[in-house]
Amino acid sequence: MLQGLYAAASGMEAQQNQFNAISNDLANLNTPGYQSTEVGFSDLLYSGAGSASGTTMATGTGAASSIIGRSQTEGALDTTGQPLDVAISGEGFLQVRRNDGSIGLTRDGTLQTNSQGEITDTQGNPLVPSIKLPTGDSPADVTIDPNGNVSSKGQKLGTIAIVNVPAPDQLQPNGDNTYSVTAGSGATRAATGSTLQQGALEGSNVDANAAMTDMINAQRTYQMASQAIQYQSQMLQIADTLKK
Amino acid sequence: MDPGLYIAASGMLAEQVRQNALSNNLSNASTPGYQPQSVAQQSFGAILMSNSATGQPIGSLDTGVTANTVVTASAPTPLQQTGQPLDFGVSGTGYFGVRTSSGVQYTRDGQFQANASNQLVDANGDLVLGQTGQPITVSAKGTVSTSALGVFNVPNAAEQGSNLFTGAASGRATGTVESGQLNESGVDAIQTTTDMIASLRAYQAGQSAIQSIDQTMQENATSVGSLGGT
Repeated sequence: MLQGLYAAASGMEAQQNQFNAISNDLANLNTPGYQSTEVGFSDLLYSGAGSASGTTMATGTGAASSIIGRSQTEGALDTTGQPLDVAISGEGFLQVRRNDGSIGLTRDGTLQTNSQGEITDTQGNPLVPSIKLPTGDSPADVTIDPNGNVSSKGQKLGTIAIVNVPAPDQLQPNGDNTYSVTAGSGATRAATGSTLQQGALEGSNVDANAAMTDMINAQRTYQMASQAIQYQSQMLQIADTLKK
Repeated sequence: MDPGLYIAASGMLAEQVRQNALSNNLSNASTPGYQPQSVAQQSFGAILMSNSATGQPIGSLDTGVTANTVVTASAPTPLQQTGQPLDFGVSGTGYFGVRTSSGVQYTRDGQFQANASNQLVDANGDLVLGQTGQPITVSAKGTVSTSALGVFNVPNAAEQGSNLFTGAASGRATGTVESGQLNESGVDAIQTTTDMIASLRAYQAGQSAIQSIDQTMQENATSVGSLGGT
């Protein structure tokens, strides 16, 4: 009897996860380079319920959901005209050195310079390999070509690397718009066929319409699972009143 | 004892099992490629009643109902557009094959991804297989041609949880692979909710029957034998 109660409850929980993921996506609708989450649903174990004739019947015990990766579709490009804004067209990520010394990957191309003239991301993490503006040059002097070559006043300063991993779904999000490489994602390699566009940013790839429809769907399914719990509870009540 | 008591109770038990299965189906309304389970009910053998004095048969009496088999739907479920390059759906019949730690199993959940060695894996990290059982390589652009994926015909596939089925594959199924799409869950939420209400009411009817029979027996035990005083 109680199995059905818990099956319905697990269904509510699975929808709750979906709901949380969509809320987070919508909150990041305007985060440059943000990649929307992908939620995967699955059924749970099938357990045998004894029947009167002695045969066992395997009935399901509910559903579960988890975030299984990030959408790799490209967001729309916004032209900003800022000399240090770059958008990646194609696969891959920019490489930065995070505060703890580890490498972070990001698609947020909102770059700036720090006090030493080094080009960094918005968190102040310098690019890897490091690119430094000569003293006296301002960001307005910088030109970045599609292959990532950075030059200032005609003098070549370095190349912005675009890298990718074999399994981007397995990257670990750090919460500051960067991802870390994990054993599951594989080591970084140079991205193929990707180019940089100066003066533009890649918007978040969250599809607001799809997110809203998914949200309504999750809410209704949640509601129906909660109704299922009520039916189960009514059955228990009926069983309870069998003998007054 | 009145056999009606047991007949009504068997009906209530069968409705409980049915309600559990419906509840599980509803939980999986968002599970890609999920195939709903239905519980089949069957009557126990009927007994022949006869007049004990003359031996003349009166007719047969059913002795109740049992929920004895779970049937998994095998009808193909519709496809839903996702736009993700590594999402695959089967249009028509057939299952994808994956190599799990407990042998090759089958799934209709085509929410795949690449692993660190550029191979196509499912959400559990198990290798997705081609028609001849070989792993599938993801191209540098992060795509896989739909013809690389195997579509297996698995008669009597049995659910194992985690969207996997076991069974013996017999060749290629007729379904075709579509990329950027996922098979929806086969659960019809409205139908399931309606079935749950119907099941709940049948359960309640069983309870009423038991109570009525109980009252009759109470009358038998207390009133029939009493010599109503005044």
